[in-house]
Amino acid sequence: MSTSRALSYSAVQPRKTRLVRPRTVSTVIGYAVLIVFCALFILPVVWLFITSLKDETEYAAWPIHWWPNEVQLVNYWLAVTMIPFAKYLWNSLALASIHTVLVQFSSALAGFAFARLPGKHKQFLFTLILATMMVPAVVTIIPQFVIYGQIGLVGTWWPWILWGLVGQPFHIFLFRQFFASIPVELEEAAEVDGCSPFRIFWQIFVPNSWGAIAASSIFSFQWVWGDWFFPIILLSEDNTTLAVKLATGYLNPHGVRLVTPQVAATMIYILPLIIVFFFAQKHIIQGIVTTGIKG
Amino acid sequence: MAADTQPTKHPTARLRGLSRRQARERAFWLFITPWILGFVFLTTLPLLLGFATSLTNFDGLNLPVLKFVGLNNYARFLQDEDAIYALGRTGVFVVTAVPAMLIVSMGLALALNQEVKGRGIFRTILYIPYIIPVVAGTFSWKLLADKNVGFFNAVISIFAPGFAVNWLGEQSTAVLVAYCTWASAGGGMIIFLAGLQAIPSELKEAAQIDGAGAWRTFRSIVLPLMTPVVFFQLIMGLIGALQTFVQAMLLAPISSGGAAMETLPPRPNMLFMVYDYLQIFVRHRFGYGVALLWILFAMVLVLTLVVFFSERYWVYYEVEAEKK
Repeated sequence: MSTSRALSYSAVQPRKTRLVRPRTVSTVIGYAVLIVFCALFILPVVWLFITSLKDETEYAAWPIHWWPNEVQLVNYWLAVTMIPFAKYLWNSLALASIHTVLVQFSSALAGFAFARLPGKHKQFLFTLILATMMVPAVVTIIPQFVIYGQIGLVGTWWPWILWGLVGQPFHIFLFRQFFASIPVELEEAAEVDGCSPFRIFWQIFVPNSWGAIAASSIFSFQWVWGDWFFPIILLSEDNTTLAVKLATGYLNPHGVRLVTPQVAATMIYILPLIIVFFFAQKHIIQGIVTTGIKG
Repeated sequence: MAADTQPTKHPTARLRGLSRRQARERAFWLFITPWILGFVFLTTLPLLLGFATSLTNFDGLNLPVLKFVGLNNYARFLQDEDAIYALGRTGVFVVTAVPAMLIVSMGLALALNQEVKGRGIFRTILYIPYIIPVVAGTFSWKLLADKNVGFFNAVISIFAPGFAVNWLGEQSTAVLVAYCTWASAGGGMIIFLAGLQAIPSELKEAAQIDGAGAWRTFRSIVLPLMTPVVFFQLIMGLIGALQTFVQAMLLAPISSGGAAMETLPPRPNMLFMVYDYLQIFVRHRFGYGVALLWILFAMVLVLTLVVFFSERYWVYYEVEAEKK
């Protein structure tokens, strides 16, 4: 024990001094890339914010006003009062949450089966899943739309519940890839102890996969929250999501689009996502990094 | 020790007289049952119904007088110059947007994987576009790219007064590629970063002790271990890019009123799926529209299978190496 520790120390010492130069060069390049791209990546959001503070005539002014003459917070008031904002906000939240919880469970279970359990035609079935991911969503959604119409599910949230219950190929693939990277040794011990496959899944794979679950949850929540096409063809005026209303709701009585209230509403719409990410990102990334053999 | 654990098999297996392997195989089928149900009822059935529709003149309302037209809708595609043009635009989009997304997300992940200060802040900012939904993202880009009152042209006019680029018109494909790269790079970056951080540091350290420089370590250690991630990202990127249409439609210039669904993208952004969308939802040519979908589907399938079969030549999996 002590000899191996001594050995590793002697291996560590000279390495540190040797690595100083290459590490500095790549760090400088790293900083340059990061600063330039951060500026580019944040620009649309910053400009969105600035525009949300302008009034409608100032938005259309040329030469451009880099900053509003007078900050117009009234846009935010208009954003939440011109349409029943709270109602659509709730619709988005509820629909996305229901879908996400269902997708996690069904997809992780299937991902586990494909990563770890034996099955006839497993490879063929997995190829089928990949093939399903390749199906342009619209190829199935339009006939689905007809079917849902026949059984009275158009204008309800049931399509999202069904999509959650059956699991989504992308998430199955993600979980399968993640589970496949978990070392076999972890589960072999449990298997020797006689654990059932479900217990191995639930007590070994799930607790070691919070990173994957967090990432997958955020992906599926975002998918519903941000989706615009499926709600537009499947939901009704009453139970549709905020995304749909955001694109179409801000018209004055003459049917003319009011840009600045729409910009303010867009700010409100994206803000929760940014806040959630600020708090959750540590979990996501630490989870991904520390799971598996290092956890 | 081994003899001790041998008889205490899996409790259920003992109870029902199943071997361990049988119990595990049964679990396999049980666990994928939800997916199988979804595959049958939400994928296969609609696909077949869709294919059946593509052989008819269905327009959404003429169910009682539906006519079987054979492969006419497919033959029509070959003579439809607008559809061929749209396919070409999708081709241009795919070959520019997919490499752009891969390179930017991989580059950002590599930069973040350095020992930089404020890494968390950088990572957060770079990831933000990815969490911004398409309605909001395209809207903010339209504010930047607007020909008359947009930010880009305002910056240009500082250097070249009176000069305005029609970003959402003639240059709309460039804006679409830039938008899609902006909107998706963060997701790829996080996945690449997770992959980079999963590389055992001992491997890199061992290479460096052996005298490998930064580039050599990247080429021989980091890149091979990252190929499964690149593979995953490439496949997802291709599939996503080929069926892009919502972004193109929402990036159409801000109009004075009405729903965005009625606004057409400018001609350079007439992607295949945009054209198809028009056929189905505006012209109500369901039969022809679904035939076009099947053509796109076939192309997506072939392209993805090609990438998939190339896997063995360039993707490195640790599990396989261990088995040998």
